[in-house]
Amino acid sequence: MSTTSAPPRPRRLLFGNRPTRSRLLRGLAKHSVMIVTLTLMLYPLLWMFGASLRPDNQVFNTLGLWTGDLTWDNYADGWAGGGQLNFSRFFFNSLTITVLSIVGNLIACALTAYAFARLEFRFKKPLFALVIGTLLLPYHVTLVPQYILFNQLDWVGTVLPLVVPKFMATDAFFIFLMVQFIRALPPSLDDAARLDGCGHWGIFWRVVIPLSVPALGTTALFTFINTWNDFLGPMLYLTEPDAWTVSQGLATFLDATGQSAYGSLFAMSTLSLVPVLAFFIAAQKLLVEGIATSGLK
Amino acid sequence: MQARGRGPRRAGARRVVAGSLAVLCAAAVAACGQRLPDHSPEELGGQGEITGDIRLSWWGSGTRNERTNAVADIFEADHPGVRVSRETADFGNYFKRLNVQGAGRNMPCVTQLQARTLGDFTARDVLLPLDPMIESGAIDVSDIPDAVLDTGRGADGKLYMLPTGAAYDALLVNETLAREADAPLPEPGYDWDDYIDFLSQAADGLPEGIPATSLRGGLPNFFIAYVQGLGEEMFSGDALGFSEELLIGYWEMWEEIRARGLANSPTANAEEPPSPEASYVASGDVLSDNRPGNALTPIQGTLDGQGQGHRMTSLPLPSGPAGSGNVLIASGLSIPRNCDNVPTAAAFIDFWANDPRSGDTYASDNGAVTNTTLLRRQLDDPDLPDLKKRELALYQRIVADDPPNVVYPPGYLAVFESAFTRAYQDVAFGHQTVPEAVDTFFAEANAGLAR
Repeated sequence: MSTTSAPPRPRRLLFGNRPTRSRLLRGLAKHSVMIVTLTLMLYPLLWMFGASLRPDNQVFNTLGLWTGDLTWDNYADGWAGGGQLNFSRFFFNSLTITVLSIVGNLIACALTAYAFARLEFRFKKPLFALVIGTLLLPYHVTLVPQYILFNQLDWVGTVLPLVVPKFMATDAFFIFLMVQFIRALPPSLDDAARLDGCGHWGIFWRVVIPLSVPALGTTALFTFINTWNDFLGPMLYLTEPDAWTVSQGLATFLDATGQSAYGSLFAMSTLSLVPVLAFFIAAQKLLVEGIATSGLK
Repeated sequence: MQARGRGPRRAGARRVVAGSLAVLCAAAVAACGQRLPDHSPEELGGQGEITGDIRLSWWGSGTRNERTNAVADIFEADHPGVRVSRETADFGNYFKRLNVQGAGRNMPCVTQLQARTLGDFTARDVLLPLDPMIESGAIDVSDIPDAVLDTGRGADGKLYMLPTGAAYDALLVNETLAREADAPLPEPGYDWDDYIDFLSQAADGLPEGIPATSLRGGLPNFFIAYVQGLGEEMFSGDALGFSEELLIGYWEMWEEIRARGLANSPTANAEEPPSPEASYVASGDVLSDNRPGNALTPIQGTLDGQGQGHRMTSLPLPSGPAGSGNVLIASGLSIPRNCDNVPTAAAFIDFWANDPRSGDTYASDNGAVTNTTLLRRQLDDPDLPDLKKRELALYQRIVADDPPNVVYPPGYLAVFESAFTRAYQDVAFGHQTVPEAVDTFFAEANAGLAR
């Protein structure tokens, strides 16, 4: 005896099984998801901004964004830093170190990457492996030897320990990034330039650099973010308040063993994000332009 | 084009690697060989001309930085040939930097230390003993009580840190909530049973969702009070001095507190920010907590911001059969061996510890001032805020009980505290039983402290 079973009844879909043809509905759905996601991502930032506008002893009163008492005092107090310290000085110091670090990384890493990508020389592979190997070395392992070295050079208390290494191609990640990028450039461009009389410097400067704008932009962007946010390096080497960076200035508002100034901390933290956001927006444009003009599409 | 021969290349590569390593080793050896100043006996006694540059380092934030700078400014004005360079950071980062500076023999001439971290530096022999400077009269300690002065001694009995501020942990209680819950505050000299009775009584009358205490079974300072109250030793040399049974009893007591719903959850406890202003007790979300005595002011400030009129008070920690459990956690000033201007550093420490202008300016910002004359001046100062006076008065009560001195071994903060907190979290989150966690903790702490 054979039994036949009834075909399973198709499940009723709650929202239908075909995308709607309405562009309006599709747009609404897409934008709703994006707005919700964006709100979730931005909420901590918005809360910080809201907290920066509350009186110091009301900062933690609410998880909401706004309360009745709004004040700009935290910005004035935080910027003045209690009289002895001043955030305009910290911003200037951070900017100086960041600009020098970007210049150093761009020059040194690009030159090193060109050498590894285009030149043939003895021990190239072991040297490249050595450079890449430094990526595996945590910063804390070299912290004390570096400090002793810079102390013997009498560099402690100056920006030199933070800036000079950048001119010596010590950021292996950026070297690797640029080596990979330059290797992808057609070698025939080098040959053409060589026929036109260019040496290595000419090829590097006239051919490789203009075509490497996206990699240079990425290097500059990440160097900016890393240097601007760096705390450990400046804390070790920039001990006197006159030389402090923004990240050090922010740390002075907090101490677990005493009284903290959260209102000022959030106010100055908000301001310290402005250069990072501005640079990101500028570098993002640079990246797009670089890709569009270098024929890499 | 270069010739492509694998054999010579490999040999060459080895040479490059070996050469690089040799250069690195030479640099490291040269760096480690940094010389220390050769101090004369007069300098070791703090005798000599008070002139030139010294560096001063301390931990803290806003107001403490301003006050420390003001004290240094007065000293500079008193000694026109002296310049005091200042270095500050928050507590955690301060010691990270100091460890690196110590390894590089570049510690500031006047370095602020805490009794809990002193062992890390005396074990490495980077500090000068201050006893010769006291004998020569360069540093006066006649107004500092002996029990307080002893907190600056190393394991060898020499004084390596002049205690200038004495902090203590206290039981901070929201008086308003306790009154509303009809729970009278524990009487002076209360013990752990009284403490639990207080929590139980309060829990019955507290609003829903407000526990009687933060879960503090993993807080080392609370445990130290428990051990001292029993008259046991915390440390025996570089090892734990108490028994496993004692810790099992302590953590089982906390598990009972938790099981009875008197404390907040382990999750809430683990998520709590460390700063006093952001703590649950400051937002009125728990009734009581163990916090440093000087947290009373910022916590009251945050409560004031809520506008509900809540008042905080501070009590000594519970006592035991052997007496008070409170210990002093002293902060003070030290002179490292790498200091090349010992007489000026000694003069600065003497100024800090004894000059009335220094005491008035600093106003016990980092623990109660240890100099009894300066303490009296502050208590008599009509401008000193009432909360600060209460903090200083409680310090006087604790000192009057002749608190025991704990000599913290090297690695106390890095090894003991982190292992203790982690082991209790394993219990509270149900990952281990109390005996298992105690075994783990003992093995980890003893191995780490012995290193």
